Amino acid sequence: MEDKYSSNVLSGGKLGMVEVPNSRLTRYIVLLVVTKILKALGIFESYDILKVVHIVQFIFILKLGSAVILLFFQKPFSSGKVISKRQWIKLLKHAVFSCVISLLGFFGLTLCGPLRTLLLFEHSDVVVIALLGVLFTSSGGGPSKTRGAALFIIAVICLLLFDNDDLMAKMAEHPEGHHDSALTHFLYTAIAFLGVADHKGGVVLLVVSLCLKVGFHTASRKLSVEIGGAKRLYALDNLVSSMVLLPWVIVLSATTESKVESWSSLVLPFGMIVFSVMILEFYVDAICSAKMETPRCARYGAIALFLSALLLANFWTHPLTDQLRSMSKPPQQVSTEHVLSGGVIVSAVFFIMSSSILSSPSKKGQQGTLVGYSPEGTPLYNFMGDALQHTSQSLPRFIKDSLKQILEEYDSRQIFYFLCLNLAFTFVELFYGVWTNSLGLISDGFHMLFDCSALVLGLFAALMTRWKATRIFSYGYGRVEILSGFINGLFLMVIAFFVFVESVTRLLDPPNINTDMLTPVSVGGLLVNLVGICAFSHAHSHGGKSCSSSHGHSHGGHGHGHGGHGHGGHGHSHGSGGGGMNANMRGVYLHVLADTLGSVGVIISTILIRQFGWLIADPICSLFIATLIFLSVIPLLKDACEVLLLRTPPENEKDLNSALEKIEKIEGVLSYRDPHFWRHSANMIAGTIHLQIMSDVVEQRIIQQVTAILKDAGVNNLSVQVEKEAYFQHMSGLSTGFQEVLAMTQQMETMKYLKDGTCIM
Amino acid sequence: MTSRSVEQRMRSAAKANGADGYRKSKMAMDGMMSTSSGLSYHNAGDFYPRKFGPKPDVVPSGVTERKVGPLDKPDMVSVDVINVSDSEVHLHRKKHEQDTYVLGTIHPFRKTHRSVFGKLLQEFRLVSSDRRSWRILLFGALNLLCTGCLLMWCSSTNSMALTAYTYLTIFDLFSLITCLISSWVSMKKPSQVFSFGFDRLEVLAVFASTVLIQLGALFILKESVERFMEQPEVHTGRLLVGTFVALFFNLVTLMSVRNKPFAYVSEAASSSWLQEHVADLSRSLCGIIPGLSSVLLPRMNPFVLINMAGALSLCTTYMLIEINNYNAVDTASAVAIALMTFGTMYPMSVYSGKVLLQTTPSHIIGQLDKLLREVSTLDGVLEVRNEHFWTVGFGSLAGSAHVRIRRDANEQLVLAHVTNRLLPLVSTLTVQIFKDDWTRPLLTGTLSPSSVPPMGPADGYTLSSSSLPPLLMSSGGELDPLTSTPSKPTSPPPEFAFDTPGRNVQPMVLPAPGHHAHRPYGSLGLAYGASPYTGMLNQGLPRPGGGLGLGVQGLGAGYGLGVPSSQSYRTAYGGAPAPLRFGTSNPLASQSQYRQYRP
Repeated sequence: MEDKYSSNVLSGGKLGMVEVPNSRLTRYIVLLVVTKILKALGIFESYDILKVVHIVQFIFILKLGSAVILLFFQKPFSSGKVISKRQWIKLLKHAVFSCVISLLGFFGLTLCGPLRTLLLFEHSDVVVIALLGVLFTSSGGGPSKTRGAALFIIAVICLLLFDNDDLMAKMAEHPEGHHDSALTHFLYTAIAFLGVADHKGGVVLLVVSLCLKVGFHTASRKLSVEIGGAKRLYALDNLVSSMVLLPWVIVLSATTESKVESWSSLVLPFGMIVFSVMILEFYVDAICSAKMETPRCARYGAIALFLSALLLANFWTHPLTDQLRSMSKPPQQVSTEHVLSGGVIVSAVFFIMSSSILSSPSKKGQQGTLVGYSPEGTPLYNFMGDALQHTSQSLPRFIKDSLKQILEEYDSRQIFYFLCLNLAFTFVELFYGVWTNSLGLISDGFHMLFDCSALVLGLFAALMTRWKATRIFSYGYGRVEILSGFINGLFLMVIAFFVFVESVTRLLDPPNINTDMLTPVSVGGLLVNLVGICAFSHAHSHGGKSCSSSHGHSHGGHGHGHGGHGHGGHGHSHGSGGGGMNANMRGVYLHVLADTLGSVGVIISTILIRQFGWLIADPICSLFIATLIFLSVIPLLKDACEVLLLRTPPENEKDLNSALEKIEKIEGVLSYRDPHFWRHSANMIAGTIHLQIMSDVVEQRIIQQVTAILKDAGVNNLSVQVEKEAYFQHMSGLSTGFQEVLAMTQQMETMKYLKDGTCIM
Repeated sequence: MTSRSVEQRMRSAAKANGADGYRKSKMAMDGMMSTSSGLSYHNAGDFYPRKFGPKPDVVPSGVTERKVGPLDKPDMVSVDVINVSDSEVHLHRKKHEQDTYVLGTIHPFRKTHRSVFGKLLQEFRLVSSDRRSWRILLFGALNLLCTGCLLMWCSSTNSMALTAYTYLTIFDLFSLITCLISSWVSMKKPSQVFSFGFDRLEVLAVFASTVLIQLGALFILKESVERFMEQPEVHTGRLLVGTFVALFFNLVTLMSVRNKPFAYVSEAASSSWLQEHVADLSRSLCGIIPGLSSVLLPRMNPFVLINMAGALSLCTTYMLIEINNYNAVDTASAVAIALMTFGTMYPMSVYSGKVLLQTTPSHIIGQLDKLLREVSTLDGVLEVRNEHFWTVGFGSLAGSAHVRIRRDANEQLVLAHVTNRLLPLVSTLTVQIFKDDWTRPLLTGTLSPSSVPPMGPADGYTLSSSSLPPLLMSSGGELDPLTSTPSKPTSPPPEFAFDTPGRNVQPMVLPAPGHHAHRPYGSLGLAYGASPYTGMLNQGLPRPGGGLGLGVQGLGAGYGLGVPSSQSYRTAYGGAPAPLRFGTSNPLASQSQYRQYRP
């Protein structure tokens, strides 16, 4: 069934891995599930223990206990080959890393509680690697993997945002000086510096340490081969890390007094934790991944673990379970701690879904490129890896190259400098806003960022314009500039619309405005934008001049005169090349102009409000500004539209007409048809024309003459089709093929349809 | 358009016959003009001065009769004299045209005496004259009402997600406007300045509306980021009502208005990520329940999809706010809707933007490559370069290419073959033939084009320039199916289409005098430039009277085809009689002309 609907032929079951039916694996699955439940129990237990035992001591005891048991089982010294000195050093490094990771993990446990720790930290490597593959490589493996990654991220975000854990308040009252050791103190201060609540800090910490854990596991694979098996490595690693932790534990127990009343009562819980978390899980995982495939193992394990964690979280603090618990602690305020919330449940569901999606083997097979067809007609694919086809550039080199490209040309350089200035101003504003906790400043900063996107668009277009022509973009990328100008014009229209709507609502109900912060910000913005205007006005007047001849009105009195640019029938002066109109720069310029207007409007309305208390001044100013933006953007949009609609360039229209007249007068030319002339980009006017000439004239001479005449008129990309009578004879001779007849009859039908279609419509 | 071309033909003919004839023909033409306009445009006859022709401003009059003179060497002086006498008439005509153009409504951007609103009103009246656009207008009015309502509810609920969803309704308004524009475009013919017609306006409208909605989504994103810092209270009172009103309205609009441009773009553009995910999900669902495959497996309409998904996320928002008072969900779902809007609209704007950027559509490249390879294997072709192929509107391809050929190749033959190959795919085609060193005389003079008189004076037949293949097809059904495929020495001999319709005469194989012995069809062009067509046309034109019949019939067909060019290309060798030349015009006109010019 699955095969029938799968997109790829190759994934059709036969070629992929063969899944063993579930029935044979039932006992392993049951074993796995039981282990995972026990593990969840162990983690919950250890959370309670961690409240009284210091974290380093706790980890030391765990490592030591498991090391003893593993030494008994594995006998790493008596069996296997001898470990060299170099390998011991590697082992030491390995142990240090594993200590750090377990420290982070258990510290996260103290911050977030057992349920959230289990949800975040206990993902199998397969899931995390698939997630990272989706996030950071282009070929993640189809939409399903993307969905899984999105679910994972949403689940983390749910934990961060929608999990209103009561512990936050509890942690806040946690006195800062109370921390037991330098390590925890450091971590606490780090989290406090980030400015998030402890529990959220714990979430972030756990995610980071999860990634570290996966990386660590991957890196230790080589060492495990060297040492002689993962089990031996694990045993030795536990031993070495307990030895690494020993001095710290000694120092700790010497300097601080323990909160533990009786160690003897803790023996049983410790034994249980060591057994369930450290030993049993390790062995069962090893067995299961040997008997089943890793993905399936991960899937069942995750589901069992998360479900049992949810159940335990519900019943752990229940009074009923309190009696059963081995720890004879009085049920204190614990019961309100780390309770289930809607966010946690949602994120648990999402985690279960995402881990089952991400751990499922990729159905898509390998991505191949179609190279052709075999003689039998079956498609042939090329399975060269992506790595071979993509030569990825290093990031610094890429940045350097693109910077060089940007700075090469005047337009993009201007935009780039102004963008930098704008961004600097924005970030200063944002930081200052965060510093002073002023919401107005922050939102203004975001507004500026929003505006910067137009600049980025302009910069990108200015860069693209210089790209070489390709097969798809056969005329080159020059037209991108016009499209970008058009989009920028639309952008301005949208802005004007929003300002308009906003000001109308304010006009109906003028809010009270706090004018204190506004003035310096708007003055700063005004200064920045004035710099921009100075930078761009050159480009604009440059462009405006050549296009203003088409529409003889200046727009809005912006203080730049539209030069008359005398142009009549003889206007060969502005032919090809030169500074044609640059819609992109015009768009950017208008954007900066709109911003400037906004700043001016704010300043004026602030003054009016301060001096006279006219609250209505603000919306009126906004209305005025919106209208100005709207009016100023219309010419840009109009020109861009004309170019995009392939209009005959208005500034060349007269020249072209006279050129056509001239063409007619060329000796030997009978007539012409289908003259198409259009502006492709700022410095390219393309054209096609069909000429009918007398049969005794040399075609190439006519082509030469016509090309010269039209070149004078500004057309610099021309195709001339020269037809003689013989051509039509050949065509009529050729047009007897079946295809042509078909096409012709179709054409005729459509034309007929058009003809009476016009009657209907 | 049609009567314009007729008028033009008549004018040139009139000039050939003197001012008197011109006046008469003008009268005839005027009468005819009114009839034809009444015929073709019932409703909007007055607003259509422009339909009289996609013709250049410069009327190529005074050209044809120049060629009537001695064939051997046109005398410059005498030509000039004729031209002066003609140019007055010409000027007069031109002024008249200018007036019609200025009064016309074709140039949306040209300054005229009318105000912008007047023009808009005219165009609007034109569009609304169609019954089908009433429905669009009705839905547009409803849409405005609904959008206004929704915007009010947005501000009363203070919900960002509902605002994002309302923008989808605004997008519906844009798509309705696009629909109107598309029906306007279908009524318009190419004008002089917009020589490719207004098909691109459709593309531009699609592009603009998708970009506008994306900019709106960007605005939503920005507002949402600001809201994440300080989440205001969201009132759920009208939230669900607004959602369902908008959903219902959007779906009704989508179902009931047939939106041609958007339907095309959503089919042609690559699928959005939303579509891909839904397709993936439904495929795995169909793996479980195969019965659903007919419902779920076809490609989903992206607009329906985004409307559904948006409504779903709004319902979730409503539930979560009602139950748990999570106000931040509103912002999150606004972000989700904005992202989905981006995902849905981005492929469409990329597609239409690529059309606007005059790019070669990538799905057609394979086909084009094959054709170009075929072209480059034609005899005499050295290379094809500067090839530009792009789409004018949605679908119709235009293009130009430069073909470099061998010095001794026949340009017209190669041109005909190249055009013949490319024309089925590229409807607006210009091929420039290029020869190196053409000034240098050839070693073998036999093949130079000037030395071959293609037609003897005996075959006096008229040819219309662009409508020629259909002309001969329709007029002479019994004509010889003579295909001439110039082939490389190794390729098989040219094929003949035996069972094409209207064929009952045996194909005629030419005894081609090969100019190289080993290349049997190499010099075909020379040979059948002269003899075969003559023979074949002589079948069709036994007498001058028959020739007239052919002309009338053929050009009637050509005119019915509405071929973009109205210029007639006629060669009259020797003294072809005038009635014959008038055969090129509209049947209706030619009847009257015939009466006039037949004493």
